[in-house]
Parts: sequence; C-alpha cells; structure tokens
Amino acid sequence: MLLSFALWIQATDFFTYLRGSGYVYPCILSMHMVTLAVFGGMILMTDLRMLGWAMRSRPVADVVDQLRVTKRWGLVLMVTLGALLAGCKAEEYYYNIFFRLKLILLALIIVHWLVFRRAVYARAAEMDRAGQVPGNAKLAAALSLLLWAGVACMGRGIGYVDPPFGIHAQLWPF
Amino acid sequence: MQIENPLNASPLAFPILECIHIVGFAVSIGTIAIVDFRLLGLGMRRETPSQLGKDTFFWTLGGLIVMLFSGLMLFSSDPDNYYLNYAFDLKMFFFVSAIVFNYTVHRKAVESDTPNGKAVACISLALWACVVFGGIFIGFLNSTLDIHHI
Repeated sequence: MLLSFALWIQATDFFTYLRGSGYVYPCILSMHMVTLAVFGGMILMTDLRMLGWAMRSRPVADVVDQLRVTKRWGLVLMVTLGALLAGCKAEEYYYNIFFRLKLILLALIIVHWLVFRRAVYARAAEMDRAGQVPGNAKLAAALSLLLWAGVACMGRGIGYVDPPFGIHAQLWPF
Repeated sequence: MQIENPLNASPLAFPILECIHIVGFAVSIGTIAIVDFRLLGLGMRRETPSQLGKDTFFWTLGGLIVMLFSGLMLFSSDPDNYYLNYAFDLKMFFFVSAIVFNYTVHRKAVESDTPNGKAVACISLALWACVVFGGIFIGFLNSTLDIHHI
C-alpha cells in the first residue's frame, strides 16, 4: 500500500516537474540544508544549554522559551522542503534503508516530545529558580542531541544507496 | 609518485567525515543564526546581541574549526575533482567572505548592540546560505563532470 502511494505521488505532475527541473531540485536540497544548519543548530544549542555545556550565563528558560517559536517555524519549513525532496524519489526512497531509519528516528523524536514536553521543557523556569537542571532534563537533552544528529547523518546516508534496478522514475543530472 | 590517501582506503571514511562536517556547520551556522535572529528581533529578545555574541563565541569558533578541518580532509580525498568543480570555487569565495564578514562587520554590529543590525544579520545569513548552496552543488556538478579518474 505504501509502495503504491509512493508510485502515485512521484507520478503526479508536480513531482514529475520537480524531478526533471534541473536546478530547482538541488536548490530545494540546499534550502533543506540551510534550515538544518540554522534551526538544527538552535536545537543543539538548546540541548547544550540544558546539559550545562553552553550559554551558561543565560538562564535555561531564556534559551528554551525564546527559541521555541523560531524553531517550530523552522521545523515546518525543514519538513516541507524534506517532503518535496522525498516526493520526487518516493519509490526509490521506499526501498532506501537510510530513509527508513531517518523516519524511525523522526518518529522517536515525536515520542521524545510527547514524553518530555511537560515534564522537562515546560519547566525551564523552575530549573533556574532551583539553580540546577534535574537528571531527567539532562537525559532529555542528551537524547535530543543524539536523535537529531542521527537524523542528519541518516539523511546524508540516503544519497549513498543506489536506486534498485528497474525503478520507474529517477532524477536526471542537469 | 602515487601517494595513497588513507581516507580513500575505507569506503566509510568519506561519509563519516561528511556527517562530522554537517554537525560542525550546524553548530557554527546555528550559533551565528541565534545572534542574527536576535538582531532581526525574531528571538531571544530578553538578551542583547552582545550578550549572545559572547555566549556563542567559542561554540561558533569550535564549529568552524570542526567544519574547516573535516572539509579539508574531504577535499584531500579527491583534490582534482574539487579543483575543476566551479561550485567548489564559489563555495570557497562565499566561505572566505562569510568568515571575514563574521569577524569584522558582524562582530562590530553585535558588540555595539546597534539597533540597525538588521541589514548585517541578513547579509550574514545570506552569505552562510550561499556556502551551503555551494556545498550541495558540488555534488550535483560532480555527477555531470565525470572526471573521477584523471
């Protein structure tokens, strides 16, 4: 069922155009990497602040609360661009082991968000008042660092797997 | 004389270095972006730009060093290829411009907490975005150059 969805979506006019568009596809990929650098970097810095490794002269709440909206819009942009890229090669990506691992890590990030958002991320101001970051917050930060670094590395891995033989649509170099 | 680069001995060396390169530029560009978004008034408004500049200074520098050294190692795996790739030339031009801008004009604007830092922030973000675009286009041009075995 997933495979037939992948075949359908990559055959739509929109994705057929994107796939054959020459410079447009690498520009979308570049924008995806720019959002990774800008907003991924902000995620890393938030985690590093919680671990007490960076920006220690700023309260935890200042970093966690004030970057939240920015990161959320960044994530929307990053996921949108990523979906455009995936739609172009949906069939090939369906078979790609790194794409599958990337989706699993992204699913784990949603689980991470559900588990820690109230217990940790909503309580940054309390941590500042108490003068220390509790163990579960440090665990959340460390897991977040690992998960996001993993997503970035799996994303890079996608490009290393050759498409399987007999695939219906491929990206042509310009 | 043929000298074997140990990087080319293992097929995993290049992709692992690329991942280090990606994390390095996420840290450096991410920390610069935190300051730039502050200059644009889009986040961290309880802090001043100069405070954020100080807080992120060493992480920006550390990220840049990781990015630079992993980048040099990636380059060393196949210098001819990069030499002939004009996306690489453009990337290096934007990279040097971005570094110079970051430690001159950008630094002054951040340290002085100028209220007119928006243009500086936009130029900074645009320069770093150009570096990333250059990096991506290296790979896309390589597939058309076909000069792997000179």
